[in-house]
Amino acid sequence: MKSADDQSAYRRRERRLAFLFVLPSLAVFILFMFYPLLYTLYLSFFKWNMVSPKMKFVALDNYVNLLTDPVTVTIAENTLLYIVILVLFNFLLPYVLAFVNTFLMKKGKYIYKTLLFSSSLIALVVGAILFQWIFNPVSGPVGAIADAVGVALPAWSKTPGLVILVISLVAVYKAFGYNFLILLSGMNSVPEELIEAAKLEKAPNSNIFTKIVVPLTSSTAVYILIMTIVQGLQYVFTPIKVLTQGGPNDASSNIIYQGYDYAFTFYETGMSAALAIITMLIFLVLLYLEFRFVEKGVYYEN
Amino acid sequence: MKINSSEIKWHLLFIILVLLLIYPLLFSLSTSFKTMSEAFQSSSLIPADPTFSAYDRVFTTINFVQILSNTFIIAALVTIFKLVTSVFAAYAFVFFHFKGKTALYFLLISTIFIPFTVTMIPNYITLSKVGFVDSIYGVALPQLADATGIFLLRQYMKGIPMSLMEVAELERASHLTRLRTIVVPLIRPAILSIGIIFFINSWNEYVWPAIMIKSEVNYTLSLALQMFVSSEGGTDVPVAMAVATLTMLLPLGLYAVCQKFIIGTFAQSGIKG
Repeated sequence: MKSADDQSAYRRRERRLAFLFVLPSLAVFILFMFYPLLYTLYLSFFKWNMVSPKMKFVALDNYVNLLTDPVTVTIAENTLLYIVILVLFNFLLPYVLAFVNTFLMKKGKYIYKTLLFSSSLIALVVGAILFQWIFNPVSGPVGAIADAVGVALPAWSKTPGLVILVISLVAVYKAFGYNFLILLSGMNSVPEELIEAAKLEKAPNSNIFTKIVVPLTSSTAVYILIMTIVQGLQYVFTPIKVLTQGGPNDASSNIIYQGYDYAFTFYETGMSAALAIITMLIFLVLLYLEFRFVEKGVYYEN
Repeated sequence: MKINSSEIKWHLLFIILVLLLIYPLLFSLSTSFKTMSEAFQSSSLIPADPTFSAYDRVFTTINFVQILSNTFIIAALVTIFKLVTSVFAAYAFVFFHFKGKTALYFLLISTIFIPFTVTMIPNYITLSKVGFVDSIYGVALPQLADATGIFLLRQYMKGIPMSLMEVAELERASHLTRLRTIVVPLIRPAILSIGIIFFINSWNEYVWPAIMIKSEVNYTLSLALQMFVSSEGGTDVPVAMAVATLTMLLPLGLYAVCQKFIIGTFAQSGIKG
């Protein structure tokens, strides 16, 4: 039998070893994630250009400037439009299709997730270049189809609104298959018998989806919904940077690209940092919502 | 059993979706074998007069071998480092008991909610202090702070029967021995598949190379692709599509060989807890 001293020495050794196991990961996170987070918060209270030895403390001026700048209104509207398009194509559509694939199809349905997932492995920058040519109004296939039905495809990269749609499609191309796969595995938490019983009672499919499937898969769905927003806004950064640089006249910029632009185009470190902190606060609200809903979902699913 | 008539419409819907997602790949492949003038005149998927000239131009206009090896070295460094650190961290989170374990785990996992705009300026400054701006190490280092490996490996390790670990503990096997002789062999397929995912993600990475790299000798494939883009798409479409095709080759090749593993591991990443 171990003595009390032995026990505590053993525990101390275990603790030290656990710390050593976590240390390499923790060091990387402190160096490249947590320290930068604090440093950016600090920078958001200063006016600086990243190279000058002088930093000027301006308190909340950067935040006030952001909130009163008319460009911020454009950026906020664009960001909302990106979110609406991404939620539609990367969340709602794959959610409904995962339901259809799981409960309304029987034979030959497994091949689709494998095929649909393939585009999730393709680099965003590759997607950006492919879509640029596919949607090229002069030589691209979409332009040719539009011509055939007698519509002239406008130069999308110069057309406000349309530019956001085409850029969002690059992010859809990246995330659709992945989200479909996750939502599909979320369907496992719906008992097959419930669906069969509802079908016997001739319940319409739309009711089966909203009344049975949605409540039972809410935790996976909320997770994908939130990741669609958090990741999607960062995914579209690549096609924005590569194809439009936020143009025409900020019409395709969003909250992420604008932060990059402030830092590496205009060298306004403080403005970039303030916008980044605001972005993170919005994401943290989403994180809080996820915890609430996912916990509720766990309750449902058990 | 034959396919029920009401299911046919769903199959049609899925087939259309698959075609829409596969089309860009075919477009890229076919355009890369076209001549420049054909690429502008026709959007047919079958090149009238297939030619390798775009691929020749890839090797003459950019230092493709150098760029390929940069991309490969970065992806390999990131993959190996992340796998090793994540295996150790995940082991600690599953098989050790220490105060603040859950809090630390959630702290690490919640970093997926930190947008890269929050870390980019300080990381740029840190890396410039050690001379890693315009260096492939400057691209690799910030990519290491990624919690997905810890999350996934923790899921797999939790599936290891406790009794196995208890037997090892009774035999006074050290934690390193348990990790080496029990845990790693049992989850080897998961480790390989997570490694493949890490490699593909780093291969495709654009944000950090775009911020860190200035000179062409240090370019990655993502940055090389950007050279073929101008506001209206540049002029040499076939060569842009040839580079795009070459960039996709490795991720899609890996997927073709081990799609079952990759799909299984990705499906895990949506499971919470």
